[in-house]
Amino acid sequence: MRFSRKSLGIPYAVFLVIFVAAPLLFLFYYAFTNGQGQFTLQNFTHFFTDPNTLGTLYYSFSIALVTTLVCLLLAYPTAYILATSNLRSQSVILMLFIMPMWINFSLRITALKEILNVIEGNLAMHPFLNAVVGMTYDFMPFMILPIYTTISRLDGALREAAMDLGANTVQTFLRVTLPLSVPGIVSGVSMVFLPAMTNYVVLDMLYNSTYIMGSLIGSYFAAYDWHGGSMISLILLAMICIFTLLTGNEEDAAGGRGGALL
Amino acid sequence: MQSNFHKKTVFSATLASMLSFLFLLICLAGALPEGFDAGSLCMEANAAEETVTLRVCNWEEYIDLGDWDEEETIELPSGDIIGENSMVEDFEEWYYETYGTRVKVEYSTFGTNEDLYNMLTLGDVYDLVCPSEYLIMKLMAEEALVPLSDAFFDRSDENNYYSRGAAPFIREIFENSQIGGEPWSKYAAGYMWGVTGLVYNPETVTEEQVSTWKVLSDPAFARQVTIKDNVRDAYFAAVGAIKSDLLTSEAFLNDPDYKKNLETEMNDTSPEMIAQVQDWLKDVKDNVYSFETDAGKADMITGKVAVNYQWSGDAVYTLDQADEDDYTLCFAVPKESTDIYFDGWVMLKRGIGDNEKKQHAAEAFINFLSRPDNAIRNMYYIGYTSVISGGDDPRMFEYAQYCYEAEDDEEEIVEYDLASFFSENPEESDGEFVIEAPAEQLNRQLYSQYPPADVIDRSSIMTYFDDEQNARINQMWINVRCFDIRKASWWSRILVIGLIILAVGYFVRRWHRNKA
Repeated sequence: MRFSRKSLGIPYAVFLVIFVAAPLLFLFYYAFTNGQGQFTLQNFTHFFTDPNTLGTLYYSFSIALVTTLVCLLLAYPTAYILATSNLRSQSVILMLFIMPMWINFSLRITALKEILNVIEGNLAMHPFLNAVVGMTYDFMPFMILPIYTTISRLDGALREAAMDLGANTVQTFLRVTLPLSVPGIVSGVSMVFLPAMTNYVVLDMLYNSTYIMGSLIGSYFAAYDWHGGSMISLILLAMICIFTLLTGNEEDAAGGRGGALL
Repeated sequence: MQSNFHKKTVFSATLASMLSFLFLLICLAGALPEGFDAGSLCMEANAAEETVTLRVCNWEEYIDLGDWDEEETIELPSGDIIGENSMVEDFEEWYYETYGTRVKVEYSTFGTNEDLYNMLTLGDVYDLVCPSEYLIMKLMAEEALVPLSDAFFDRSDENNYYSRGAAPFIREIFENSQIGGEPWSKYAAGYMWGVTGLVYNPETVTEEQVSTWKVLSDPAFARQVTIKDNVRDAYFAAVGAIKSDLLTSEAFLNDPDYKKNLETEMNDTSPEMIAQVQDWLKDVKDNVYSFETDAGKADMITGKVAVNYQWSGDAVYTLDQADEDDYTLCFAVPKESTDIYFDGWVMLKRGIGDNEKKQHAAEAFINFLSRPDNAIRNMYYIGYTSVISGGDDPRMFEYAQYCYEAEDDEEEIVEYDLASFFSENPEESDGEFVIEAPAEQLNRQLYSQYPPADVIDRSSIMTYFDDEQNARINQMWINVRCFDIRKASWWSRILVIGLIILAVGYFVRRWHRNKA
């Protein structure tokens, strides 16, 4: 048997089989069986007929949507200014945005909790707001970086050409810069939206006692119902797949540039 | 060129096989037979006969790890107690000295009863575990446990510290509570126990207000109370609040079968009851500051909340911490009923099997933890109350005196009778277990750590839910905790659906364009 450099991939392939493929098979098995091990679709239909599980999906969606929008609104101008200005300290400022990510996330949320407590008085009064603020705080760098990279790599000649042809600053931005930075936006949105749907630790720590997808799955496993829990995980997985398929093209265009900085 | 290529191939092949081998080794390490230890392979041949491996799984932070400061020494009339080494190391040494056999304890921990149960179902094997009473009941019902040996109950053996020292009223509960016709005591030995109650801030809350579970849904404390984030504790409080009038009525209290009736009422899981609990908990959800497992202690100490549903062991910790900041908190047990809970040691069939040496080591481990000085070390370290009252050994009571006996210059002193916990015969106790405590301790640490007789009288055990009850109650919990889609406002629906359509439409259009 001849060995080639491809053999170097074997350890990782083994890793994938044990830790990714095998658990997925278990997930499928549990999702489509009941307590007696018989095949059933009941877990599936239950999820889409129970107003509470559907409501959880809706609630997670709302939090994720609002978080993504807020992140986008805050991140785009920041990234734009950062990328287009001729600041000599550009990289230092960028560092300042990335730096919080080096601190453990639960520590950051604990600090945020105290700050919010001072501002809001009683934290428990604004559960939805807390969740959005916490997630925005947590995921902001993931939005800034891809947008920053896309804009900073735009060919400046394109903008100059638009100006030469008579477009003013606003028109240049709307017709040239914004459309060309879409790949960065899409990349940022997918990096914020998906984790925001399941990151229930933020809700727990900021006193929002309504379940989102992550905590709902957890509650099924805590009640020894692996079948229902697996089905919800699977549904979530399916949604992520659809989302990735839809955004796949855009991210190819972004060329994974955002990831290079992280 | 040819030789260069050859070198590369050999190099990558070697590297690949080394990596795979390393990886396989790591994977296998978890699945190796017990007692396998790469370093001691050569010794294995000689020592295999003599070393017993005991796999113990306990709650996190639930045993003394030793390493105390000199000044932490507990000075009792019967001698000083200090934790120098960890309890597990001390046990290994003690077992070798006492029985002449080496035992190696593989100690691991779990976070919740549900985690432990899932770990066991997934195939983790342990010899000795320490779940709460309801999981013990579930494991008993599933016939997963090995009964304690007759020798364990032999009170003439000096080393049987558990049988000789467990508190009489707790032994009684263990003997009288049955699952499938068998008493708990046949399979389980208690470790720590406590009751549920309310930690409160006496400056903003009156004793009257915290004398009932209804305080949790009281709008006067909107967003000022916390409740436990687990369905069992929440359910218990709900039943207590809903049945408050019945449970505190004269007729109910004076019924000769009071205790039995109380347990029936508190373990009511009829569909009607579950529906009522659901409504009550929904109100509570809109009224509480948080559903918490751990954060409540800190929120209580920092004054963010006024009332905190708490287990008595953690209540002691909370009150202690607050004292350090010169901030006074109190503990109350509602008048309706309180959930009396135990954590206990049980041996698993899957681990012990019929290995007598293992079983002996496991039972010795329980006994070692029940030796009064060790029980005191654990109590000091954890803050919970040990089930050990000491029997002939005076040290357990001395420790209670050491903790709570009033100083000479104390102004107000009250007599607090601990006979219900320490005495073999509480009704005829002649005051030998009375502590002269500062009056303020009546609703503070002393009260939490050693609840008085009237609290024990109105305590109820909460039995485990069988599969059917479990499914219904979990559904109830999900109904409480989840957002009901029917309650979504019309503008938020339009917003969410509109945004989804916009996003999907955008991507589909781009996708089409890219294809063209």
